[in-house]
Amino acid sequence: MSTLARLWSGFLVGATLAVLAAVAAFGSDYHVALAIAVLSYVVLATAWALFSGPTGYVSLATVAFFGIGAYTVAVLGEVLPWPVVLLVAALVGLVVALVVGLSTLRLSGIYFVVFSFGLAELIRQLVTWYEVNVTRSVGRYVFLDVTQAGIFWQLFALAVLVFLVGWLIRRSRLGLALQVIGEDETVARHCGIDTTRAKLTLFAVSSVFITVTGAVMAPRWTYIDPAIAFNPLVSFQVVVMALLGGAGVLYGPLLGAVPLVLLFDLIGAHFPNHFSILLGLVFIVVVYGLPRGVAGLIRHGTTSPSPGGGGSLAAGQRGGVKPRMPEPLSPPPAELRSATSPLQGEVKKETPLLDIIDLGKSFGGVRAVDGLTFSVPRGSIVGLIGPNGSGKTTALNLISGLITPRSGEIRFAGAPITGLRSDRIVHRGIARTFQLVRVLDDLSCAENVMAAVAFRAHPLWGEKARHQAAALLTRVGLGGRDDVTAQNLTYIDSKRLELARALALDPQLLLLDEWLAGLNPTELLDGIALIASLNRDGLTIVMVEHVMDAIRSLCDRCIVMNTGRKIADGVTADVLADPEVVRAYLGGADAGD
Amino acid sequence: MLLLVDILLSGLILGGMYALTATGLTLQYGVARILDLAYGEVLVAAAFMAYVLFTGAAVVPLVGLVIVLPLAFAANWVIYRVMLVPLVRRARNRAALETDSILATFGLLFVLQGIAFVIFGGQYYGYSYLSAPISLFGATVAVNRLVALGFAAVLAVGLYLALTRTRTGTAIRAVAVDPDAARLVAIDVTAVAGLAFATGGALCAAGGVLVSMFLTFSAGMGVLFTMKALIVVIMGGVGNLLGALAAGLLLGLIETAVARLVDPGLTLAATYALFLTVLLVRPTGLFGRPAR
Repeated sequence: MSTLARLWSGFLVGATLAVLAAVAAFGSDYHVALAIAVLSYVVLATAWALFSGPTGYVSLATVAFFGIGAYTVAVLGEVLPWPVVLLVAALVGLVVALVVGLSTLRLSGIYFVVFSFGLAELIRQLVTWYEVNVTRSVGRYVFLDVTQAGIFWQLFALAVLVFLVGWLIRRSRLGLALQVIGEDETVARHCGIDTTRAKLTLFAVSSVFITVTGAVMAPRWTYIDPAIAFNPLVSFQVVVMALLGGAGVLYGPLLGAVPLVLLFDLIGAHFPNHFSILLGLVFIVVVYGLPRGVAGLIRHGTTSPSPGGGGSLAAGQRGGVKPRMPEPLSPPPAELRSATSPLQGEVKKETPLLDIIDLGKSFGGVRAVDGLTFSVPRGSIVGLIGPNGSGKTTALNLISGLITPRSGEIRFAGAPITGLRSDRIVHRGIARTFQLVRVLDDLSCAENVMAAVAFRAHPLWGEKARHQAAALLTRVGLGGRDDVTAQNLTYIDSKRLELARALALDPQLLLLDEWLAGLNPTELLDGIALIASLNRDGLTIVMVEHVMDAIRSLCDRCIVMNTGRKIADGVTADVLADPEVVRAYLGGADAGD
Repeated sequence: MLLLVDILLSGLILGGMYALTATGLTLQYGVARILDLAYGEVLVAAAFMAYVLFTGAAVVPLVGLVIVLPLAFAANWVIYRVMLVPLVRRARNRAALETDSILATFGLLFVLQGIAFVIFGGQYYGYSYLSAPISLFGATVAVNRLVALGFAAVLAVGLYLALTRTRTGTAIRAVAVDPDAARLVAIDVTAVAGLAFATGGALCAAGGVLVSMFLTFSAGMGVLFTMKALIVVIMGGVGNLLGALAAGLLLGLIETAVARLVDPGLTLAATYALFLTVLLVRPTGLFGRPAR
């Protein structure tokens, strides 16, 4: 199926480009002009979808970069040789994309959409003002010795390049990273993905393509002014084309761009006054009728293209660690202990694996975590318990870098990790699961796990990653479910999948946030056995849990929190008998909310 | 000194209009969770209706409000029920709904704008009503501007009282805070969201009628109003009425000041620059609560 899909998409792209080339070579001037229009939007929409497709960031800044390219030509076209002009345009586009990207990619959803639109308008206003007040003329003439055919073949080369780059990205770790980001950015960071860098890279690549397209197209208008070069309609058309075709797959935008350019050309020629209405109707039809685009129809609901397979751009980057095929977990670190041996009494001469010192975090007036101090020795299972709202999850969030503490320090294996980003913390060797299960719905089980395998401190990619993902799925009881889409899993299975993803990070410390909650008695026994076996293999575990049976059978030691503070810490049986703990749980005067 | 009074007065009037239109948008976006990008088109449509009523049937704009507001309310309610409820139903989460609604209302934007173009063409329209100048603190203003500001204030106060003092208002605020929790206390979230969306649309139309009394407008101007309303909403913090009021006044003052003191050609640039800065520095708005 996936080979078939690959062949089909290759054929589709190749055939479209071949037909356009034939039209350009043998057609009349009108046909060449039409072919240029089609091809330019194919490049623009494909480049747009490179970034916006997987991440879901709807960018309306297309025309900002397009216009920058066109204006670079208008200013420098007669001064510098043509290839240099294109290079300068690409560089200007790159610089603007990096500046804009760095400052805006943390905005999401509507804020990003509005920002990108505002950006295009701001640039247009500034260019207009500059032209009116400094150069004293709104427009510029572009007299360059570039023929229609010349423009076409340059666009053609650009189109080939954009598909090639897109194809390479999709096969690479970066492609998978972007899909994960599009589904859940927090999870992405907890898979060890540097989300900012991944998004920025793609935004820059996409923007450079758009800028160069603007530059190549500039000689077509012999006269340009800001209203032409920065026409916001271009941004909207690119969006609707990409969405009509389906922004999720590489060849999708092409399926939208070709018919729509022809349609718009037809409308423009015959119903110039109704252009806007028809554009709007196309938009509405796409949103309601084809949420996944034409490509989505063709693919009959099969989800994301499978990444990986064979070598790739990124595979060798860190000289991937040798695959530990049969037993994917790291070999036990320093001192291996059996899960049954009591921790109590062991002299802690070694640095504890995790050291929390006077940690504090408030939300508004609520002190969610207040002066929390504890340490976790290597090889232990420590239970973190307490009534609802006592700050357990907040403590885990602070350790995993989801939020930054207001005060205090977190040391991992002797080194401070306080305030580091989640992906950095993951690379130090801490993995976690979430209280509300967070699997990547649209990805397969294997891809869910591969995301972590591909971005941990010693990443693997390609077949090795796939094999390791399969082994991890087997380990958590999901053997053979590699290609099942995560959204089709039951609740318990999605918990297993999340655990497999955490294990795939090859952690030293595993943070489990109520991983056993909501399981039926049989599943609970399985779960407890699984956690115990992980610990036997050398994994240190901190578990937030309400299931007391699990705490009793797994944890040698327990830390009890109430209203953000630690109220007890010691051998599990003793702690659970502590009157203050009992009071906190059963609703004493100062029990949590 | 005179210049200062002039800037303050003009800025406040302009800002009052921005605040009123933004109030409607913040109601729509904050309660119904729909970002209506065709918002400005509704405003322009109301302006054209006021124009047609005044020039065609000699209905003065303030009476025109009585006709335009219920119409806008009904039209927006229909838009919500027919166009947007299906999107709400199929959305997996809030982010998906936002993207879908942005795209759908983009479509609506182009359709409405296209219709306006077909009927009125691209040129600017305006009419003269209560345009006699009067002197206020040494500066000269047209009566219609003051009347518009007064009406905007009345509408804003009315909305504020309705939201804080009535049962329905309380339900609207409950849905704004948490639709799921609101459902648990037997609030019909879809109905309340529809009501808020329609009320927002009516406020928007009120803005359109009032603006038409003293500004020229054209079929292509809707996007500009949408952007400005959005800027005010985001600056004030989504769903925050008082924030929208303050941000609206601020934007009006800054625009007027830039136009008078720096260069009228840079007004829009200043608006966008201000907006982009706010987004970068405080994405939750000047007065918004910090994100959880």
